[in-house]
Amino acid sequence: MTTFIQTLIDGLSLGSIYALIALGYTMVYGIAKMLNFAHGDVIMVGAYAVIASVSMASLPPVVGLILSVVICAALGILIEFLAYKPLRKSPSLAVLITAIGVSYLLQNLALLIFGSEQLSFPQVINLPDFAFAGVQIKGVTLATLVITAVIMIALTLFIKTTKLGKAMRASSEDKDAAELMGISVNRTISITFAIGSALAAIAGIFYGASYVYIKPTTGAMPGIKAFTAAVFGGIGSIPGAMLGGIILGIIEKFSQAYISTLWADAIVFGVLVLMLVIKPTGLLGKDIKEKV
Amino acid sequence: MKKFARIASLIMALAMVLTCFVGCTADKEGGATPGEDGLVELKLGCIGPLTGDYANYGTSVQNGVNLAIEEINAAGGVNGFKLTIDFQDSQGDPDSATAAYGKLMDDGMKISLGTVLSGEMTAVSAAAIADEILLLSPSASAKDAITGNDSAFRVCFNDPQQGTVSADYIADNKLATKVAVFYQSDLDYSNGLYENFKAQCAKRGIEIVETTTFTKSTNTDFSTQINAIKASGAELVFIPIYAAEASTFLTQAYGKLTDIPLFGCDGLDGILTKVSDTKYAENVMMLTPFSADDTTENVKKFVDSYKKNFNATPDQFAADGYDAVYAVVEALKKAEITPDNFEDDDFNSKMVAAMTQITVKGVTGTMTWTADGETNKAAKAMIIHDGVASLYTSEK
Amino acid sequence: MKNNVLKKLFSKNSITIYIVVAIYAIFSSLLYTDNLSRQLTNMLISVSCYIVLAVSLNLVVGFLGELSLGHACFMSVGLFTGCISSVLMSNVIPSVYIRLPIAMILGGLAAAAVGFVIGLPALRLKGDYLAIVTLACGEIVKNAITNINMTVESADFEFNGAIGLNTNKYGIYIKDVGELLPYAIVLVFVTIIVMMNISKSKAGRCIMAIRDNRIAAESIGINVTYYKLIVFVLAAFFAGMAGVLYGHGNSFAAASKFDYNMSIEILVIVVLGGMGSVRGSIIAAIILRALPEMLREFSDYRMLLYSVLLIVIMILNANPKFADLKGNLSIPKIISRLKNKDKTVKEAK
Repeated sequence: MTTFIQTLIDGLSLGSIYALIALGYTMVYGIAKMLNFAHGDVIMVGAYAVIASVSMASLPPVVGLILSVVICAALGILIEFLAYKPLRKSPSLAVLITAIGVSYLLQNLALLIFGSEQLSFPQVINLPDFAFAGVQIKGVTLATLVITAVIMIALTLFIKTTKLGKAMRASSEDKDAAELMGISVNRTISITFAIGSALAAIAGIFYGASYVYIKPTTGAMPGIKAFTAAVFGGIGSIPGAMLGGIILGIIEKFSQAYISTLWADAIVFGVLVLMLVIKPTGLLGKDIKEKV
Repeated sequence: MKKFARIASLIMALAMVLTCFVGCTADKEGGATPGEDGLVELKLGCIGPLTGDYANYGTSVQNGVNLAIEEINAAGGVNGFKLTIDFQDSQGDPDSATAAYGKLMDDGMKISLGTVLSGEMTAVSAAAIADEILLLSPSASAKDAITGNDSAFRVCFNDPQQGTVSADYIADNKLATKVAVFYQSDLDYSNGLYENFKAQCAKRGIEIVETTTFTKSTNTDFSTQINAIKASGAELVFIPIYAAEASTFLTQAYGKLTDIPLFGCDGLDGILTKVSDTKYAENVMMLTPFSADDTTENVKKFVDSYKKNFNATPDQFAADGYDAVYAVVEALKKAEITPDNFEDDDFNSKMVAAMTQITVKGVTGTMTWTADGETNKAAKAMIIHDGVASLYTSEK
Repeated sequence: MKNNVLKKLFSKNSITIYIVVAIYAIFSSLLYTDNLSRQLTNMLISVSCYIVLAVSLNLVVGFLGELSLGHACFMSVGLFTGCISSVLMSNVIPSVYIRLPIAMILGGLAAAAVGFVIGLPALRLKGDYLAIVTLACGEIVKNAITNINMTVESADFEFNGAIGLNTNKYGIYIKDVGELLPYAIVLVFVTIIVMMNISKSKAGRCIMAIRDNRIAAESIGINVTYYKLIVFVLAAFFAGMAGVLYGHGNSFAAASKFDYNMSIEILVIVVLGGMGSVRGSIIAAIILRALPEMLREFSDYRMLLYSVLLIVIMILNANPKFADLKGNLSIPKIISRLKNKDKTVKEAK
């Protein structure tokens, strides 16, 4: 029984990271209607930004965290402007290939700047760990869960109620009609990317706090898994991203603990394939009929 | 794009023709004439990852090799030769390593220091069979990496040896009777060690109470594995993995696996520079033939000049590279190779024959080689205390 | 009549064949007269494999218009099935040179079977989701191969997927590039000819119709399911054959090499060569495989260059001005412009 609860908590801890990453993924996908493959690598940039400012330049941690969020938001706008904007009207294949290009570009830039050796994330978030009845919970896990929930609620409210949020939904629904109503679609999408990338920076900070070691390829695998989580919960749905992330983390940990660590990869990806084939709209996604 | 390709294709066809002629012009005559210092150049080649995920291993070997060559040349060379080294980057890719080997042969390499990693060495040693050139890999440890090529040798232990010796060491020093194993299931190095460790444990009466794994795509969160090890009641954990993953494991296991020593092999080299805080590596043991705080004279000299030149403490890969060059020097002396006869056809066969006759007192121990290409030397275990690795001595 | 023959001789497809013939003629004549540098010799087989991989992936990406991020796994399935069956056949057929073509077909079939299974979800999905499913399937296949453990005592054969396959140990590694090159040339030509003919056939037109507008294609009675599956199976088949060739030309193969990154590398070749262009894929495969070898010193920047290339090419392709420029610079356009000039000059007279 202790093993069961401990595994559940380990899954929650991993899942909360997936959920945090998936929030940014699903937001960009829901509004810009494109799969931002580079999202995972923005997380890596966010983590490196903290390392560079806190560990290397010895800035106070708070400044480092804010800097990281600002850098990533700016990076998001820059990527959108340089790589995605020229492809607004292209088929999704072209956009996806470009996104893969951006992902590799970020990884290789980080490789040139920081080298292939792993760097340690500074201890900017110091929280005590809890233990009761033989079960251990890390403070960082609780913090990640709380922050993910807060962001989820804030994002939902933002998109539902604010003017900008409405503009985002309008741009997502019908770009031309939104343009006719006086909404600047380009600006709206830029802001979406800025918010998405700022979320990625926060995810990067919590990833660094939980797993300590950062490499240029750090973002790739969590990025893919978080996308899986976003699809699982229904891509475009913000509560779905959180739900999907946590469920995926729990599935991964339980398959490691109770089935086999040898097959953990296959199981997680198998879940993704099954989910996409059986219910492509995910747990909380909306079914949109294709128009001719 | 289709139409554009049509023009491009013509240009490229031309370019391909040109490049292959460029490739052909490599000069094969090199140093038959002595240079200003009266020494003839003898070209050594080595291949390893200088960029990419495994760059730290390639860089270490490269530093060790360079240091040895500098020392030898500064001391007036060997048998009238001045050694040169051409170190090619492979990024850890066997394909690239084979092509790099071809390039080195084109450029007139006389002796090859093989490759740094096992996968690369397997590819290169097979591709080099017909050349009969001496291949002395510093660190390619997989069993099959040098089988099938009679002129291939290695400085390091092979994986089965490491797995077996680890089990023996644990049994001989009565470190534990119940052990857990944590290894990377999609890594050949890790698997090779595990399989042989398991076999030897069965012979020595060590019980493996838990075997748990991870893969390259699940190498960030080891909580489940750590819990399983903790629940198994193991007295020692055998971790035949690389240092990067080991640092993650140690960090996450900190506070959970207290009092359980961790035991690794040469892959753990450099662990102290990888962990964010050396407290995580407390009580980690590793089996290695080289120890940087060894007080033997030659080791001290090597460590001091390495620190001076590269501002880092040498690890086992650096030591392997350093020893490989000295083994080549011994072989040159034994085979009585001089600038007068080194262009002869029997150069390679003389060198290979000499390899099994020499004894090298290197920084990784005193070595002799068998005709299979394996080395005989003693293994030591190091233990980390307060961020310093020192020779393990059984206190019991 | 004469004009027709000429047209056929200088059609786009024939020119592709001429280029490939010329390249292989030059390289094999250099190789067989011992004039080719060792570095290039060692690359011939691997470049040939990449040509086959790129051309077959182009069928999925260029003709069907779906993104596959798991192409390397077909190669891996082919490689291990083909090489292992070649080892197991050694008692029946002693010569590795006869076993190789059989192994290639077996490897191709195994890869095709996996292609079929991966193609099945593709029936329900398209676009981003399909791309992710192929990526996931590639990882599942890699994971599965890593966990294979087989021992065949009668053939004294042992295979541990995690450690990899040492082909040299089991006598199926063909060291001499000169001996393996004819197989590579045949495979490349078969692949190219099949791919070029498909694009001209009824099936090819149906596939392209699906790419351009799936719903419209469906409405005129094209069986989308059937053609999508055909594409996946065929592309996997050729990738599998390339894998077997690769396995026989390299003494060591490990499943972990054939991951998502390798699939992306093949994708870069297809995109650089031009989606839908067989010739482009061939030339890009040669350039992208040969260039890093020629410029070994710049290996740090190789992946950086690839990623920039991907982005720039996609953006340029989307720009109508660039498309016009490309069109105006093509040889047939220039020829026809010259011809028209003649005509107008004549008419003026």
